[in-house]
Amino acid sequence: MGFSHCCGELNFMSILGTEIAGIKLENPLMLASGILDENGYSMLEILKHGAAAVVTKSIGTTERSGYRPPIVVPLQDGLINAVGLSNPGIDGFREEIKIASSSGKPVIGSIFGSSAEEFLNLALRMESYGAAAVELNLSCPHVRGFGTEVGSDPLLVEEIVGLLKSRLKIPVLAKLSPNVTDVVAIAKAAEKADALVLINTVKAMAIDVYARRPVLSNSYGGLSGPAIKNVGIRYVYEVYKETGKQIIGVGGISTFMDAAEYIMAGSSAVQIGTALYTQGKGVFGNVNRDLAEFMEKEGYRGIKEMVGVAVK
Amino acid sequence: MINSRITEVEKLSQNTSTIRFKWDQHAEAGQFIMVWVPGAGEIPISLSHLGNEKGITVRSYGVASEALIKKREGERLFFRGPYGRPFTKVEGRKLIIGGGSGMAGLLPLIDEKSHGIVAARTKSDLLFHDRFPRGHVTVVTDDGSAGIKGLAVDGLKGLRLEDFDVIYACGPEMMLKSILDRIRDSGVRAEFSLERIMKCGIGICDSCSIDGHQLCTEGPTFSLEEIASMREFGVTRLTESGRRIWLGKH
Ligand SMILES: Cc1cc2nc3c(=O)[nH]c(=O)nc-3n(C[C@H](O)[C@H](O)[C@H](O)COP(=O)(O)OP(=O)(O)OC[C@H]3O[C@@H](n4cnc5c(N)ncnc54)[C@H](O)[C@@H]3O)c2cc1C
Ligand SMILES: Cc1cc2nc3c(=O)[nH]c(=O)nc-3n(C[C@H](O)[C@H](O)[C@H](O)COP(=O)(O)O)c2cc1C
Ligand code: FES
Repeated sequence: MGFSHCCGELNFMSILGTEIAGIKLENPLMLASGILDENGYSMLEILKHGAAAVVTKSIGTTERSGYRPPIVVPLQDGLINAVGLSNPGIDGFREEIKIASSSGKPVIGSIFGSSAEEFLNLALRMESYGAAAVELNLSCPHVRGFGTEVGSDPLLVEEIVGLLKSRLKIPVLAKLSPNVTDVVAIAKAAEKADALVLINTVKAMAIDVYARRPVLSNSYGGLSGPAIKNVGIRYVYEVYKETGKQIIGVGGISTFMDAAEYIMAGSSAVQIGTALYTQGKGVFGNVNRDLAEFMEKEGYRGIKEMVGVAVK
Repeated sequence: MINSRITEVEKLSQNTSTIRFKWDQHAEAGQFIMVWVPGAGEIPISLSHLGNEKGITVRSYGVASEALIKKREGERLFFRGPYGRPFTKVEGRKLIIGGGSGMAGLLPLIDEKSHGIVAARTKSDLLFHDRFPRGHVTVVTDDGSAGIKGLAVDGLKGLRLEDFDVIYACGPEMMLKSILDRIRDSGVRAEFSLERIMKCGIGICDSCSIDGHQLCTEGPTFSLEEIASMREFGVTRLTESGRRIWLGKH
């Protein structure tokens, strides 16, 4: 019997092709960091289902177990997570990149740290492992000392991005947080990056009224899924308009319309995470198919023609 | 999160209890729930009793399971689910092989046409060996304190595989590996329920994955053919942090 693998030959590839930070993508869909991307074989499987590239789980300098479950709260229109940046440490991640890279498709290494030097060391390791680019997690909302605490300091962001750009051969993507007062200021601080990734999860909490306490063991977490889509659209639109930078849109994408909305707001590619919970791995094939059909009917000859068309 | 008052707690041994609770929800053998013990953790546990009054059978290994077996009648049980792909129902003679607490999820499959191999480290760890038809259970213990001294796979000696229409098994991965190696060429239909670390239960965290397949959504039950094609089965897995380790070597 065996497993059923999806999709077969996709004949709508040419219209869906795009480029981000100099990396050619056969379609605009990438796997978002932190979802099914800790094990190399899982990334391979996602690529087989039609993602053009994958972003790994965020990897740090040393091994971390992350928080004790509950680490997720499934909701009607999304979920809240506080995984706690569990990761094997950069030394233990070479094998997973190697397994995922056997696909021949781009594998982007996500990293987190608390200083420019730490980000640089991690990025150089990712480069040596064969990553196609690094994505800087400047935006995890639920671990002290990392993520948003780093990503909300414009001077630090500028220093990190500047240092990495001067030392790396592969492109640098900066993933920004919606949990800051002025996202445009942070986007400008990250201006040297090859592209910006918007948005990470929105800081959130769920309380079980019968248990009379927060469900997540960490109490706070990050909200993702359809609940945050329109927050993401607004951030992408505003940052595209103010900076003109290349953007990868992420947050609540589960249909071709969501993807098209992000692209029209200024995204050159998009990432999908939480929809893997609601729709399974078939989401990549479905969105690709429906998006190609939409583009043909609407008279677009390529993704590029659609990028930012809604921005006034 | 769902919650339901516990209707009964039956202590099966020093460290194992069955907890019963009302839950009007269709579920099948092989499926599991994520049980939340506020303050202690959230863990995957198979449904050992189906029907309107569901049940779980828990052995204490650590913080969350220990807190769970201390629950009393009338207290609330918090959980979400049911999750996972159930065992395929097959008519006819069943061979049911359970190691340790792995027997819990196999309990609903036992009927008058079943034969069991129940394995455990020692006599007091044996679970549900008394639920099989008289004369139709082979008991195996690591230390020989009950039944055959040896491993679950040794329980297959003296049984004719052709006599069975299906084999269902659940237990530690290395136990399943030795059974797989023994039966893979026999042509008998078989399904195994695998166990890995599970943090989310909904197919996003990647902690339970084997060869790109998530145990929590695509498993935990897999056919013999599926398992035989897995490069990671019986060989390697990721720890809580995501570090790759090799099985059988510590
Ligand atoms: C799909 C599925 C179904 C399951 N069904 C059942 C069930 O019906 N009944 C049941 O009792 N258990 C079942 N388990 C196992 C159960 O989830 C674990 O025992 C539990 O997660 C342990 O959590 P803890 O917080 O109590 O222990 P922790 O504090 O997390 O661990 C304590 C120690 O025990 C070890 N340990 C943890 N789990 C196991 C294990 N399964 N076997 C051996 N050592 C272990 C750990 O490595 C650690 O050293 C199932 C697991 C899965 C994946
Ligand atoms: C379970 C989970 C884990 C995540 N882990 C990371 C992470 O390690 N690094 C990161 O940059 N973003 C992480 N994210 C954020 C996602 O990459 C994405 O930005 C966010 O979920 C919004 O997209 P979505 O609605 O498609 O999920 C995580 C999200 C989820 C749901
Ligand atoms: S437990 Fe998270 S993917 Fe299965």
